[in-house]
Amino acid sequence: MTHYILEIAQALLALLLAPLLVGFVRWVKARLQNRRGAPPWLPYFELAKLFGKEVVMSNNASWLFRFAPTIVFASALAVTFLVPLIAAPLPFDNVGDLLVVVYLLLLGTFFLALAGLDPGTAFGGMGASREMTVAAIAEPTIALAIFGLALGAGSTNLGRIVTATLANPGVAISPGHLLAFAALFIVTLAETGRLPVDNPSTHLELTMIHEAMILEYSGRYLALIEWAAWLKLTIFFSLLANLFVPWGLATVLTPATLAIAVVTLIIKLAVLGLVVAVVETRVAKLRLFRVPELLGLSFVLALLAVTSSFLLR
Amino acid sequence: MNDSLFSQLSTLGSSVVLLFGITLLWRRSLRAYTGAFQWQSAVLAAMFVIIGYFGHDPELYFVAVFFGILKVFILPRYLERMEKRFGGQRESQPYVNVATSLILAGLLVLLAYAITRPLVLVSALPTRGGLPLAMGLIFVGLFVVITRKKALTQIVGFLVMENGIALLAVLGTFGIPLIVELGVFLDVLMGFLVMQVFVYHIHGTFESIDVDQLNELKH
Repeated sequence: MTHYILEIAQALLALLLAPLLVGFVRWVKARLQNRRGAPPWLPYFELAKLFGKEVVMSNNASWLFRFAPTIVFASALAVTFLVPLIAAPLPFDNVGDLLVVVYLLLLGTFFLALAGLDPGTAFGGMGASREMTVAAIAEPTIALAIFGLALGAGSTNLGRIVTATLANPGVAISPGHLLAFAALFIVTLAETGRLPVDNPSTHLELTMIHEAMILEYSGRYLALIEWAAWLKLTIFFSLLANLFVPWGLATVLTPATLAIAVVTLIIKLAVLGLVVAVVETRVAKLRLFRVPELLGLSFVLALLAVTSSFLLR
Repeated sequence: MNDSLFSQLSTLGSSVVLLFGITLLWRRSLRAYTGAFQWQSAVLAAMFVIIGYFGHDPELYFVAVFFGILKVFILPRYLERMEKRFGGQRESQPYVNVATSLILAGLLVLLAYAITRPLVLVSALPTRGGLPLAMGLIFVGLFVVITRKKALTQIVGFLVMENGIALLAVLGTFGIPLIVELGVFLDVLMGFLVMQVFVYHIHGTFESIDVDQLNELKH
């Protein structure tokens, strides 16, 4: 019974933290650009506002358009049950491992791209084709980067990987981990639509990717999609934080360790949010044709990570 | 414990050095090339200090200082001065495009792993984990030299290759005698100055530092 409560609590925590994390990144960016910036909790109000608005839909849109937001949100939510956010190993570790996580994330991306194509607008089609280009290189890189860690731990189970690193802290600074971290960081920026790949703060720009796909959405559907995107950011950040720096995670379930785990999770997410905000302030958006090159770089890093963890075992 | 920490640190340092070598392939502007080379050299100098500390060889501290002065300050400054003179050089169309060269670099590092495998197996050095990475860096440097068109980026490629050799030497021997190191540094500096003269001549003759232009001399 406690297991189910733990899992549900973890998913709820991710759901609640996601808007705050995005708001925090926006706020730090604003401060770095010498603006006052909206308060970090603004995204909660954004969600409330969107859920209260009526849905406007194109006459040409099919059932797919209506279903996609639910699937996108549900797949992101399902992942939060499988990723070690506050405790490891998780009771649901047997339900799905790293491959399930990667493909659940891809499922959401796939339906979002379909929904972008569905109403037949020019922007939606452009966004969908770009998103697929990025996803086609980014997804194998995520899998490969985490495989680099899995080789060291001897299991593709995320909980197992975390406990293996906790048991043997030396591997955290091994080259395999370092290269995998670099690869996963680049992919995180690409998959969550952050700056060198996609600009999260514009709504009308010819080179946008994520925003182009969801341009037709409004009301509660838009709220679901936005929330899912923020959730995805939280998931990627906690993968980066907890797979590579697992200290602070609760390995035994007592109220004290869980409280520490929640606090360290928030600190880790805040640190990563700061790093991403600084990166986004410093770099300019890449030309679209250079994006595959950047992702190629991260793929090579992930490949080297796997090689070195395989050969230096 | 000390030994395992040493081996972790040396492998980590080698992979950071290799990382800068690979990011070189992704960049275009000459300034980015120089920056990556500068950072790589700084990490390499730190590696000298680490190996000197754990290998109980104080001479390596001197080597690190000389190395740092030469490759973190003098050479990048010369490169920047040359770049300023020629104005905003970019490696816009290398012989092998960026995506392919990244994948080839990955394969080259795999090749380095394959050929150093016998060496790593018989070696009992704590630093043996870094040997394939140093070998990989030599290959990547050579790859930059043969696939990039601008004379200046080729020079950076050569310097990266030289960094790879220095890394391999220090990992494999824990520091060759100081006098030999100094000779090598002098050689690098002389080689660099000679190449600089060449670049100025190429620029003077063809109004460009694209070495492709040299083919015209055949006709």
